[in-house]
Amino acid sequence: MTALLPLPVAIPLVVCAVLLATAHLLPGRVPDILALLAAVAVAILCAVIAVQAADRPLVYWFGGWEPHDGVYLGIGFSVDAASGWIASFIGLLYALTFVFAWGFFDRTHGHFHILMLLFLAAMVGFCFTRDMFNLFVWFEVMSVAAFALTAYHLAESSLAGAINFTVVNSLAGFLMLGGIGLIYAQTGTLDFDGIATAVAQGGRNPVVAGAFCLVAAALMIKGAIVPFQFWLADAHAVAPSPVSVIFSGSMVSLGLFGLAKVSAVVFGGSDQVQGALPVLLIGLGSATALLGGWMALLQRHLKRMLAFSTISHAGIMLTGLGALSIGGTGGMLVYVVGHGLVKGALFMIAGILLATQASIDEIALRGLGRGIWPAGIAMALAGLLLCGLPIGTLDQGTRLVQGALSQEGHGMALAATAIGAALTGAAVLRAAGRIFLGLGPDPGDEAGAPSADEREKANRPLWLMLAPCCALLAVDLALPAGPIAHALPRAVSAFMHRPEGGMLAEGPGWLPWFSVAAALAGAGYGLFRKRLPAFVVRPVRATQSAPTRALEILHSGLIGDYAAWLAVGVAVIAAVLAMA
Amino acid sequence: MSVLPYVVAAWLFGVGLYGIATSRNFIHLVGCLGVCQSATYVLLLGLGYRWGSIAPIFYDHPPGTPAVDPVMQALVLTDIVVGATLTALLLVLTVQAYKRGGSLDPEKLRPMRAGGNKGPDQGSRPVSDGGRQTP
Amino acid sequence: MSPRIRVALLALSGLILLPCAASVIAGLPAFGSTIARYGARINAITPEARHVANMVSAINFDLRGLDTLGEEFMLLAAITGTVVLLRGRRGEGNSERAMRRPGRAVIPRSEATVLACRIAGPLTGLFGLYVVVHATVTPGGGFQGGVILASGTLLIYLGEGYSGWRDAIHSRVLDALEGGGALLFALCGLVPMLTGAAFMQNILPLGTFRDLFSGGLMLVENLGVALAVTGGFTQLFLEFMEETREAEEPDEPGEESA
Repeated sequence: MTALLPLPVAIPLVVCAVLLATAHLLPGRVPDILALLAAVAVAILCAVIAVQAADRPLVYWFGGWEPHDGVYLGIGFSVDAASGWIASFIGLLYALTFVFAWGFFDRTHGHFHILMLLFLAAMVGFCFTRDMFNLFVWFEVMSVAAFALTAYHLAESSLAGAINFTVVNSLAGFLMLGGIGLIYAQTGTLDFDGIATAVAQGGRNPVVAGAFCLVAAALMIKGAIVPFQFWLADAHAVAPSPVSVIFSGSMVSLGLFGLAKVSAVVFGGSDQVQGALPVLLIGLGSATALLGGWMALLQRHLKRMLAFSTISHAGIMLTGLGALSIGGTGGMLVYVVGHGLVKGALFMIAGILLATQASIDEIALRGLGRGIWPAGIAMALAGLLLCGLPIGTLDQGTRLVQGALSQEGHGMALAATAIGAALTGAAVLRAAGRIFLGLGPDPGDEAGAPSADEREKANRPLWLMLAPCCALLAVDLALPAGPIAHALPRAVSAFMHRPEGGMLAEGPGWLPWFSVAAALAGAGYGLFRKRLPAFVVRPVRATQSAPTRALEILHSGLIGDYAAWLAVGVAVIAAVLAMA
Repeated sequence: MSVLPYVVAAWLFGVGLYGIATSRNFIHLVGCLGVCQSATYVLLLGLGYRWGSIAPIFYDHPPGTPAVDPVMQALVLTDIVVGATLTALLLVLTVQAYKRGGSLDPEKLRPMRAGGNKGPDQGSRPVSDGGRQTP
Repeated sequence: MSPRIRVALLALSGLILLPCAASVIAGLPAFGSTIARYGARINAITPEARHVANMVSAINFDLRGLDTLGEEFMLLAAITGTVVLLRGRRGEGNSERAMRRPGRAVIPRSEATVLACRIAGPLTGLFGLYVVVHATVTPGGGFQGGVILASGTLLIYLGEGYSGWRDAIHSRVLDALEGGGALLFALCGLVPMLTGAAFMQNILPLGTFRDLFSGGLMLVENLGVALAVTGGFTQLFLEFMEETREAEEPDEPGEESA
């Protein structure tokens, strides 16, 4: 059965090579169909692999170069159940995105599909590989495909967003390569297990810490963690909506997935790294969750709002990692899937609004969504799920993350996860109320937020766009919680290369309800500000405006600022590692 | 001087980052990114080097002659391709940005600014103005 | 943020990173003292195991062929992205009209330029082919050779002018070269699987050490890379060259012009 392992990467690559070679011969819808089939095949293959890997990870050596005398000669794939299921989820997300984008890019000779399929192959390779440099190669393929897709609209803001994205993520690639060089020089191998063995034997070593610092910084840049988060809002807000679905649904969380794997497997034996991780991940994760949520609440451009919401949720995932327990990492993995499903659905709704109402601005769209009320129901449901409505996969992930946090005694992080989720939920619910119910005639601080005129081609019927969106939400609601909870401890222990142990804890049951209530209150405040008594409104407004202005100034859109913040972030990681 | 290549690599990355942070021209910025990337070339090749070794090609020298680390050389080759792709893409973005914005200055071309291009705004203006005056 | 604050932030983080970097550098093995176990092992076993003299090619096409596959498709992504972003193929219909900058005199090409290009062009092509086919023996390979071949096509532009270059270079052919080369490489991975071997396992006869025909499957993979790189880079030149011409009608931003 291990012979299946290369196929989920090879199939999309072959399809896109064929698409490119025959770009001019293929009639209209063939690229759509081929791309959809390839994505479905990847999803199914990965699911089969994941089922096979339930007992123990499957290992595959490319070129038949099996390790010899303890020296790893070739590149290996090593797939545990968790990695397999994540890859399968990514395949599903792509398949639904291809349905959503059906005919949207029909004048590009299949080039859109080529880029998307490369993106997909790279993500699967990223999930499966057990080789540091191979990880870097897939990381870069992902980046390159993403850069080109971001700027597709060729508007001024999308070009600027794409340039910022490209420069920051290229720097991430260089940092990662530097880290890989260091760890290779120190341990003499590139294989995860080989490095892990050497690191565990080596004791405290500045080179290992330095390598971790660089690799972790690179993956956190991909994962949009404070203070590396700036590129995300610029890029996700301007990318075409089908691309944003993939960006927010899987690319960002894959960065954190990579961080989880690298820190647990490769650097699992370094006491210095493991000692620094809780402070680092919990601290940065909490800050990210709060900042992203707060910024989301201040936006009027829907895609930009969702982008900040993704930042906030990336922070929540990072706190889950920071618990350094089976429960925390398991919760984070479930959260990746749940968040990808819900956020993907929300970006699809943004795309529906762009296509049918020719705008993406919350305030300009007020009341215009009445004609497409089914999208409104989907958006409200997605907003509620996003802030923690206790059903579905996202909720299961949230509970597991919160359970792990409360078990390890990280009270502040626990609060940050609840508040971050509530803030992003409030932002989405407010937008849903304003667009689909025509509420909230007088905008608050969000009126001053950046926005841009944008439209997407309206060549698809509403049901065709709404169906994949509803399918994503349905999957989130329908994934069985029981079997997931049952299989999770074993899968995560294989993922982290750690012995199984302990029950998975769930967070306090009232916490998700608190988030929902807070989100509803926040959305209500945003919509009915005028009708509330002045003694409520005035203090809120007073405390809001100064930090709001400061945050907007920080998110300046200037690449120079981002480079400076990048240096600050690397310095923070290095400092925490040095003190551990 | 046994640390010089590593110091050079760190220095290159530092100056490249400084260049990116202070750049006022996108083409200059792409060049600075290239400087940052050269840091990785220097680091990798430095880490793979051994005094008194030949290049890892056993054509003129028989196999078994001490050679430098071929893995690092292969990694650098991949890295060079990465550099070429990034440069090409960034220059394309720069060309298009110049066409749309008429400027190569990062300060002038910004992603979505507040108060900038607001788009169709009929929904908010009349109501919010009216709302402010009522109380 | 004003530039001054920005530089201050950079300097501050530099101050923190300096001692960290110093301790990392101090902890590294001294420059030139030793090489890693992995590389040493490859140097030791590969000449015999694969009959190739060039270790770097052996790593790129055999031991770590998957990396090169990824790298190849990264290039393909970048070039596809370039074509998408430059809204390629505007010039197919009017390849006669090169860009004219108003007010600048059009100087005819000197015969010396034409002659030099006609001599250098085939030589460059030959040299490119030489570099491509000697991947397993000498420092060379599909990537390097492909770039040389692609640059050779630019001599057509220099020697024969814009319309001559457009007559010789068709983006459809380039697409086919690029996609076909990448497909060939990917199939080099999949076809061995049909025989029950691993992905990209070297199942062809290995040939003779230090001979042009050595390395088995590596030669085919190398050819695939050469085709893809030649097609890809020429495509890149073509796209950028088109940028120097005035567009027939102004590009509409947004998806309508896609």
